[in-house]
Amino acid sequence: MEITEIRSGAVTAVALRGRVDSVTAGVLKDRLSQLIQSGLAQLVIDFRDVAYISSAGFRTLLIIAKQSEAADGGLALCGISSEVRRLFEIAAFTDLFLIVPSREEAIAALAR
Amino acid sequence: MKRPPSLVYAPEEVPPLHVTAFNAIQHVGLIAINLVYPLLVFRLVDAPLPLVSTLLAVGMIVLGAGTLLQVLRLGPVGSGFLCPATFSAAYLSPSLLAAKAGGLPLVFGMTLFAGLLEVALARALPRLRAVFPVELSGVVIFMIGVSGSAAGLRSLLSPDASPMSPAEWWVAAFTLAVMVGLNVWGKGLLRMLCALIGLAAGYAAAAFAGLLGAVQVGGVGDLPWVALPGLGHLSWSYEWVMVVPFAIACLAAAMKALGTITVCQRMVDADWVRPDMRSATRGVLADGLSTALSGLLNAVGTNTSTPSVGLASATGVASRRVGVAVGLLFLALGLLPKLTTLLALMPRSVMVAALLFSICFIIVNGLQVMTSRLLDSRRTLVIGLALVAGAAAEIFPVIAAHAGASWRPIVGSSLVFATLVGLVLNLLFRVGVKQTVTLGVEPGRVDARRIDDFLRTHGGKWGARPDVVGRAAFAANQLVEAVAENCWKGGPLTLQASFDEFNLDLRLSYRGEPLEFPERRPSEEEIRATDEGVRRLAGFMLRQNADRIRSEALEGTATVHFHFDH
Repeated sequence: MEITEIRSGAVTAVALRGRVDSVTAGVLKDRLSQLIQSGLAQLVIDFRDVAYISSAGFRTLLIIAKQSEAADGGLALCGISSEVRRLFEIAAFTDLFLIVPSREEAIAALAR
Repeated sequence: MKRPPSLVYAPEEVPPLHVTAFNAIQHVGLIAINLVYPLLVFRLVDAPLPLVSTLLAVGMIVLGAGTLLQVLRLGPVGSGFLCPATFSAAYLSPSLLAAKAGGLPLVFGMTLFAGLLEVALARALPRLRAVFPVELSGVVIFMIGVSGSAAGLRSLLSPDASPMSPAEWWVAAFTLAVMVGLNVWGKGLLRMLCALIGLAAGYAAAAFAGLLGAVQVGGVGDLPWVALPGLGHLSWSYEWVMVVPFAIACLAAAMKALGTITVCQRMVDADWVRPDMRSATRGVLADGLSTALSGLLNAVGTNTSTPSVGLASATGVASRRVGVAVGLLFLALGLLPKLTTLLALMPRSVMVAALLFSICFIIVNGLQVMTSRLLDSRRTLVIGLALVAGAAAEIFPVIAAHAGASWRPIVGSSLVFATLVGLVLNLLFRVGVKQTVTLGVEPGRVDARRIDDFLRTHGGKWGARPDVVGRAAFAANQLVEAVAENCWKGGPLTLQASFDEFNLDLRLSYRGEPLEFPERRPSEEEIRATDEGVRRLAGFMLRQNADRIRSEALEGTATVHFHFDH
């Protein structure tokens, strides 16, 4: 999985490419935790190029959401395809995360 | 769920009173044409006018109750969609058969049986799709049109009836011309209510031509404006030989209800991908109860009204408040003896026109449904031979005349004979349809892309729907991932995928402990803090993802079966 970071003011957008599963979830968690620890707790995760997320991926998202909240930050998700959205739905997580269509909207939502 | 731009009032929204009332009147107007079906049945046995009027009043009350059952969602009953009840052509041919064999009590007894059978079938219906595929539904709809028109016209125009006079033919032609003219060239409300306007024009023409009995019409004036229909007419009887014709009509009605409710689902959800079987099953249950109530109170079989759903789609008004208004309107109409007696007096010439007009749409709808699928040789033969069987039953009544008493209702009805031939051939031709492929996965060499490619490549070759293949691919990947992380004890994991037209099944076997598939999601804290939480989340997601899931363990080998409806 490729992880790309783009800074936009106080918000860091993290674009993912590939699958978020038990193989890649650990790497993603480590990178996002590093960002939070370095003071960048306002995070947007862009799922535009993600076609699959498993239970291990959801665990990472839950951990990161809690860490960013504890650091007075926030987490927003964007660019979620209909197939990945279905996975959020069957896991009953759609109401748990802030999910918006585009990266711009996610950045604006966190900046508010 | 995404709101389509064409939707003006969603089921749960409340339109203003004038919109509700105007739409309800349009629905009742659309459904009115189907009153010709009970009238044909009552006419066949020469039922006296007061009885026909009472039976029509009871029929209207049943339509009201059936519509309310469908729209209100009481307990496990009702889809909650604006999908009113109407008298159904599916029951016309069997009802005429029963009326001939045992009079109206047999019609009502068998209608009650058909309704209860539909209630019993409702939950199993989604699994019957393989037995009753789309092309066979098309054959049945087509044959409902053919057998209904033939049986109806025969009862009106047979050598036993008095011959139609030239004046009657002219009135029939005029009535049909008004209906057709407004339907083809009319606009807006005129087009929408063409059948109702045609009926009114037919009555006027018949009165002008002296075809409406002046004495009987005069008697309408003596009737009260409002009165409860009496229940002194109640009677039922049963005949074993009528079970098959009414069971076939019930199956056809249930399949049509399923289809109509699916159209309603699509109408209110732009993200619609596949039928929601929960609301469909509830809808079929309401449909069955409506027909059972019909038999109980002495009316003919009912079904969901397809033209009404078409109207809701055209106007964008799908509010269930309108459905409630339609139901109440029918209940009110059942309390108006003047109206029901006037309808009971419908001249034969007007009935001929109404029957021809309504049957046209059923026949063409059947043709469209039949040809909506890619027709391979298997489907072509099912359709072709079933239609030939139906045509033989209509053209050669001598087949039924020479058949034994128990076979006569089967080979004597083109609808029943064609449906049975289609059902048997469809089951026969399913032999050898299922295709199965297997993939072995070695421990330590789990490659998600390889599993994905395996399922998507074969899914493509089989012509499986991409969304169903996507769900199967998730199931395989998530299970392999969870098993590899938690409970794989070595040896290869075997993934077997099987497909036929209606089912996609996955079977995964591995050496190790079985995975748990909980019905409730673990808490967020449990997922964050423990591996057990993640494992249970995987099991929960897998359960939610599949239409059915089954797990077993035998001698250290765990096997998980996923089923996906296709």
